[in-house]
Parts: sequence; structure tokens; C-alpha cells
Amino acid sequence: MERRSFLKLGGSLLATTALSPVAALAAGESLTFVAWGGTTQEAQYAAWAVPLTEATGITVVNDGPTDYGKLRAMVESGNVTWDVVDVEANFAFRLAKEGLLEPIDFTVVNKEGLDERLTFDYGVGSFMSSFIMAWNRDFLAGEPKTWVDLFDTATYPGKRAFYKWACFGALEIALLADGVAPDALYPLDLDRAFAKLDTIKSDIIWWDTGAQSQQLLASGEAPIGMFWNGRIYSMIKDGMESLAISWEQHVPGPDMLVIPKGAPNKEAAMKFLAIATSPEGQANFSNASAFAPINSKANALIDPAMQPYMPFAHPEQEVPLDIQYWAENIDEIGKRWYAWQAG
Amino acid sequence: MALLTLSRSSVGLPGRNLLLTLPALLLVVFFFLLPVAILLSRSVTEPTLGLHNYVELLGSPTYLKIFYNTFLVSSLVTIISLLIGFPVAWALAIMPRGLSSVVFAILLLSMWTNLLARTYAWMVLLQRTGVINKTLMGLGIIDQPLQLVNNLVGVTIGMTYIMVPFIVIPLHGVIRKIDPAILQAAALCGASRWQALRMVLIPLARPGIFSGALMVFVMSLGYFVTPALLGGTANMMLAELIAQFVQSLLNWGMGGAAALVLLSVTMALYILQVRLFGAKG
Repeated sequence: MERRSFLKLGGSLLATTALSPVAALAAGESLTFVAWGGTTQEAQYAAWAVPLTEATGITVVNDGPTDYGKLRAMVESGNVTWDVVDVEANFAFRLAKEGLLEPIDFTVVNKEGLDERLTFDYGVGSFMSSFIMAWNRDFLAGEPKTWVDLFDTATYPGKRAFYKWACFGALEIALLADGVAPDALYPLDLDRAFAKLDTIKSDIIWWDTGAQSQQLLASGEAPIGMFWNGRIYSMIKDGMESLAISWEQHVPGPDMLVIPKGAPNKEAAMKFLAIATSPEGQANFSNASAFAPINSKANALIDPAMQPYMPFAHPEQEVPLDIQYWAENIDEIGKRWYAWQAG
Repeated sequence: MALLTLSRSSVGLPGRNLLLTLPALLLVVFFFLLPVAILLSRSVTEPTLGLHNYVELLGSPTYLKIFYNTFLVSSLVTIISLLIGFPVAWALAIMPRGLSSVVFAILLLSMWTNLLARTYAWMVLLQRTGVINKTLMGLGIIDQPLQLVNNLVGVTIGMTYIMVPFIVIPLHGVIRKIDPAILQAAALCGASRWQALRMVLIPLARPGIFSGALMVFVMSLGYFVTPALLGGTANMMLAELIAQFVQSLLNWGMGGAAALVLLSVTMALYILQVRLFGAKG
């Protein structure tokens, strides 16, 4: 999820060293869990790894950040050291297509309640975030409502914060702002989407990590933009009362958990996935991170104060994301996306 | 580069001394040259055998613009670092020893501070609501905040700041060895201060200027973190493009091709320097 996480490497390294490798050896079985670092991985560790160790004695070592290039290099060289990896959903399907993943053992992982869009032979959901529009009232006058307003720099002057990497989100948002109905988005009309983005290109500031997006919004450098809901929630929780959110046409951005082909601790990894996707594991993670669960049975276990900040509390406004479309077209879109950005 | 240096320094040395370099050599071959060669070879084998990755890379205006950006930023950073670094190196050389070691310590301290922390600090200083813009607006010098970050200005400022020590250190070594009497002699012979600088000091310091400038230029060509954080996508540099190909697009053919182009330019510059000034620079 949080690309370019070398920024967060510090955090995950700390977490790794905090976990004594001696303890891992003493207990026998262990596995390596890789995610994007920072507070998100800490919450994943607390909600999934700690209960796994308590229940089975399997110790979990944090590593990271997720790096698709590294994952591919490991599998190709036959020297895999990662057991469970948190990836962006479209990459789960992509990596599976390239034959880089182990099939999931659904006799260990319980499918019941899991988001069907994120459950397939080679992966399960990790968590659900949503791209929402948020703005900082200290730096932006008025009440923007929809993505149309994000593109209206005359009424709402100021820079716009957009997610930098080729990923679902910005292109959908551009089309929605241009008047395309949510159920008519796919296949994406790329020409139209880029033409729409062109209208505000010089006003866009790209963020590549969650921390950077928060910094842009808090400082007013970009008083409005597209953000991960969990990141905005944590700022509001920290007392930033000037922030406002619109859930209108929010675009889901799920992460998934996969097991690289040839992972050394495959069986332990399946048990990890079973706990990670369980209602309790999902709810505990959501309560710590404000990212939404991928198991519908976890929804009721979410802290009531947090419920309004969860994507599942706004189902009517949710745009139906086509992950398969992205998995199939990411090469072509990615090339065009980066070329457009650099142009 | 190691191979080049080796062949030069081994001239006239007994063979057993060569043996001492073997561990380092093996390390470089197995953990650097071999993996690099494998990645680079993918540039002509993926997705099919041929030079199509290079054709695409060098035939697209977008990618050519990224090459242009990379050279533009590297040149700007090198020139500005020289303009700032030369007076500093000179001042260090003529300062009392105690004071110069304090200034030197400050320079080194800045180099030892975490790169990300320094880059983030610049982001905070340079942004629209940052200290610099607020001060300028408070003084009434500007009424609209200046756009100092997420563009070429931000990258140039951030990278120059990082590169200045790499100019000062080699240059200081060279300038320190220049006999101050030579400058006095120039003055006695009727040279103005400007003439003494232009016709005596700069020519004598030239090896330091060139090696410092080359080091900064080459480091800038492959720089990643600072351009990624302080730059906008419209002035993307080559290292970012390579990272996109390798990590995000999983297109190692194109990534390898871009890396080979970068490596070739770097090697060519290094060889040029060796030719002009000898291996020691």
C-alpha cells in the first residue's frame, strides 16, 4: 500500500530488532512477515502475529518494506526468505499470473465472511482502505462535496494532493469528476481520464507515502486532495479539527496477503493468514489503524466511535472498483501514467 | 572502476601484493559486477532478444526529457556547489587552525546526519507555509508564497546543500598545499586581486576543482532520495525512472537498459577524468 517505503524502513527495522531472533530460534518454528512498515505494520503485528505466537508458539519476524522487484528476484533465484507479504491488490493478481505465488490452503484459512473480490487461489484480503476527498478548512474556504470540486480550481484555489504511483484511484476519480457514472467506469477511458487530469496538472502535488500526504494536508501545502481514509482518521484523532472529509464516490484501495512461491515456512504462513483474516484479527487491526476489515463478520466488532470513519459505513457512495481490470492492464496504464507525469 | 585502478596501481608491483587485493576483488566480482551484469543482460533479453528496450528508451520524448532533466539538475548542482564550495575551501585554508577545524567539523556533521532527516527538513523550510516563505511575506518582500519545493528549485537547493562538502573536502586538500607566498608574489608583480584569483589561484586549484566537480556530477546523476522528495514529477530524474521500472512496473528489461545508459555515462566521465588528470584526479 504505502509505496516508496524506504522512508519507513527505519520503523520496520526497529520492529525487527525489537524481536529477538534468539527467541525465534528457541521456539523452533518461525516465519517472516513483510509489509509496508510504520504504524500500519505495527498494528498488523499486534493484531495478527502476537495471537499466532500465543496460540501456536510460532514466532513472527517483521521485515520490509514490500518490494515487488525484490519478491520477484527471490522467487526467480530460488532463495526466498519472505513467508507472508502484504501487497496492493492488483499486484496480488499480477504476481499470481507470473507464477510467483503459492496457492492458499483454504482448509486452514476460513473463507466465510471474506470479501469475495479479494479472495482467490493465490491470495486473501489484508485490509481495505479508501481514497476519499479531504480538505483543511484552515487553508480552504467553502464546502467542496464531490470529485468535481477537486478539479474546480477556480472555486477552490490551492494545490491538490494526489497519489503518485500507478494505481487505481486517480484515473477513476478523474473520470467520475468528468461525469462518468460509477458503474460505467470500466474499461477506463484513459484518453478522457488523462485529458481531465491535464486540466489541473500544474496544481497537483504528488505524495508517495502516507506520511507525506498527511504533511501536505496539515501544512496547507495542498489544502485538498485524495487521501487514504485511515491516514485522515489518525490526524482527526490526533486533534486536527480543521480537517473535513467527503465520502462521496470513495474509491476502495485494498491490500492483500500472499505467500511467495518457495516460501520456507509455508505451513506456518497459512496459520498466520487464518488468524489475519479471522473476524477478531481483522477487528483488532481495524481498531488500531482505521483501515477497514476485509471480513464482514468483523464489522460489528469495530469500536463504535470509529464506525463513521470506516468505508463500510458508506456503502452507497462506494465506487465499484474492478481489480481484475487493473491486474490485466497495469503494464500499459503504468507506462502511460509515468510518461504523462514526467511530460 | 576497481579493475581500472588495479591495473594502474599494479604496474611495477610484485605479484604477491596483487594477491592481497584478491578478497576485495572477489567481493566486488561476486556481489557487484555479477548481479549488475545479470540485470543489464536482461535489457537485451526481456521480453524478447534484441535492442528494443533501448529503442524505446532513446526513442521516446518522455524518456529523453528525463535524461535531459538528469543532466540539467546535475550540471546546476555542480556549478552552484562549486560557486559556494570554492570560497569555503579557500577560507578554510587561510583560517587559523583552531577555527578551521570547527568549520570543518560542522561540515562533516552535516554529512553524517541522516539524509532523509535533512531532506525532510528542507521540505518543511521550503514549503508554501514554511519558514522561508513566511519570513519573506512577513517582511513584505513578497505577497504570494514562492513555489520552492516540488519543482526544479527544490531539488537544486536540496542537492546542492548535500553536495557542497564533496566539493569542499577535495578542494581544501589542494588549496591548502598552495604556498601563500605565490599569491603575494602575484600581488608584488602588480596583479590585482581578481587577476591573482583568475590567473594564479584557480589554475593551481584546478585538479581539486575538477575532481570535486566530477564527483558531485556523477553522484547527482544517480541520486534518488532528494529528487523523489523535493522534486515534482515534471522534472523526474533517471534514478527515479529506474526505480519505477524495477519496482512498480516489474519491467526489468527497461530498468536494465536505463541503468546501463546511466552506467555508461558515468564510466565515460570517469575515464575522461583519468585521461585528463591521472587516476588520482
